[in-house]
Amino acid sequence: MDRRVKITLLLAPALLVVGVLFAGGLSAAVVQSLGYLPAIGMTEPNLDAYREVLGSRDFVDSLLLTVYVAGASTAISTVLAVLAALALRNSAGRLSAAVFQLPITIPHLVAAVGIALVVSQTGLGARLAAALGLIGEPSEFPALLYDRYSVGVILTYVWKEVPFIALVVLAALRGVAGELEEVARTLGANRWQRFWYVVFPTIAPGVVAASLIVFAFTFGAFEVPYLLGQTYPTILPVTAYNEYRSIDLSSRPAAMAINVLIALITALFAAAYLRLGRGLGRG
Amino acid sequence: MSARLEIEGLTHSYGGDEPALSELTLSVEPGELVALLGPSGCGKTTALKVVAGLLSPTHGDVRIGGESVLGVPPERRGAAMVFQKSLLFPHMTVEGNVGFGLRMRGVPRGEARGRVERALKRVRIEGFAGRKPGALSGGQQQRVALARALVTEPRLLLLDEPLSALDANLREGMRELIKEVQREGDHTTVFVTHDQEEAVVLADRIALVTGGRLRMYDHPEAFYERPLSREIAEFFGATNFLRGQARNGCVETPLGTLRLEHPAPPGEVTLTIRPEAVRLEGGENSFSARVRGVTYLGTQVLYGLDVSGGVHLRAALPPHTRLAVGDEVTARLPAESLWALADGETTPG
Repeated sequence: MDRRVKITLLLAPALLVVGVLFAGGLSAAVVQSLGYLPAIGMTEPNLDAYREVLGSRDFVDSLLLTVYVAGASTAISTVLAVLAALALRNSAGRLSAAVFQLPITIPHLVAAVGIALVVSQTGLGARLAAALGLIGEPSEFPALLYDRYSVGVILTYVWKEVPFIALVVLAALRGVAGELEEVARTLGANRWQRFWYVVFPTIAPGVVAASLIVFAFTFGAFEVPYLLGQTYPTILPVTAYNEYRSIDLSSRPAAMAINVLIALITALFAAAYLRLGRGLGRG
Repeated sequence: MSARLEIEGLTHSYGGDEPALSELTLSVEPGELVALLGPSGCGKTTALKVVAGLLSPTHGDVRIGGESVLGVPPERRGAAMVFQKSLLFPHMTVEGNVGFGLRMRGVPRGEARGRVERALKRVRIEGFAGRKPGALSGGQQQRVALARALVTEPRLLLLDEPLSALDANLREGMRELIKEVQREGDHTTVFVTHDQEEAVVLADRIALVTGGRLRMYDHPEAFYERPLSREIAEFFGATNFLRGQARNGCVETPLGTLRLEHPAPPGEVTLTIRPEAVRLEGGENSFSARVRGVTYLGTQVLYGLDVSGGVHLRAALPPHTRLAVGDEVTARLPAESLWALADGETTPG
């Protein structure tokens, strides 16, 4: 059999799933966002939903909150992950691997509940702080859940995503970056010079790729902010979900418009980010 | 500038039962090129990394220019290393790579540019300064790596099998380049290799290391003419071994009594002689033999000889010798080419 035909056939099942579920779902969302829902008599495609969504204060607030949560979670996770990987790269690895791999296996939902149990004003953290005399009453513990800075949401993401980024960075550090660093040492580079001129540019593409995945995920993820986020404004996926669940079917185009906008914005960030990554790699 | 390197009682253990390196002691004179020769896993790369400071020895001392460098980090030892892989920084151009060491030392940009240019010229790769390593061939990459080490004018140049990743046709050119550059710059150099031909061609002296221990440290010709043991002789391609009893400077063997120019210690000895030293002629130390095998090698012919007493010898002769299997010949082992190994082990050849 022709090699190309064979490859196509072997890829077909996977492509079919991706094609139907992803492209199919996305195009249905685009169609509905354009106001085309024959079931309720909406048959004239238009941009009303986008006009409505983009013109509303709610959407702008939501968007800002989403960019803030995704950006802060990604930035904090990335910095902590790179530091952790640098600290752990010379260790034998069994313990560090276990500590790192554990959070990866735990679902976001469970992580969110766990964080809530620790950081809520009636939680373990508050009681511990009170017992240690740091605060008078557990209720004096700062509000970290449902708060305007989304601390609980960001904490959950950081706890989940640091190990993910760190494992990617660790793999890069234990590979060629270590050898290049030895060369740099024999050429007279001190610790800081080795990190800045050799190690960082070598691991940068991996760091960028991993943190991009984290950003895209936290930008579009729904469950953690739904559980731990404030009620207004809500993060974009939660806004979309609320619109989608509305009894009034005519708000469906707005829900879909938000979804399409999330996809577009994520794609824009991804493109900008990859450009940045290539720039870093060039040194 | 080039300095004397002294290694004393160097032992390094990775934590296993056997140390990777045991009690290595040797010194390298300023401007000398020493090959650390041995099979893979013998500890030679470990020794090099300890000298560079990338590994700390379990015991022993390393002195560069007369001063111990044990507490000195690699970046301040002035020992530049070239590895088996070129390990160029992939995100920098050739110029950036070669100038790296100068930039780290804060050499002014204008001066650095001139030095980089001269270094690239020395390794004959000028005109590639703006390229990225990915756009170079393997041989070019290794030359850039050499220039990157040379440009800093290191006190020591450490080369860890820099030729083994190259194609055979590139290796010879690179070998000559290393020798030329090393002579020109008068760099004290330690060259790690598992290839005895490479060591012989390049080195002023060879340190043969097996099982983490130094077995012999001498000029290349000594490994052919005066090996310390049968193992060393075999490593350098010796095939003729003869048991005998030494008495009054002569050795009684199954071939008769042989006279040696180099004195043999009294008692059981093993004699060795290189195949290319065996002559087909009469005279002192001669005996009759029968040709049992002929192998034509182009530049020489290798004859297997049966001698009385069940002894087999090999003789390498010029390619124009025309002998056939079964021919009767007279063979001679010149007294100046016979060498007695003191260890006395082994079976008659």
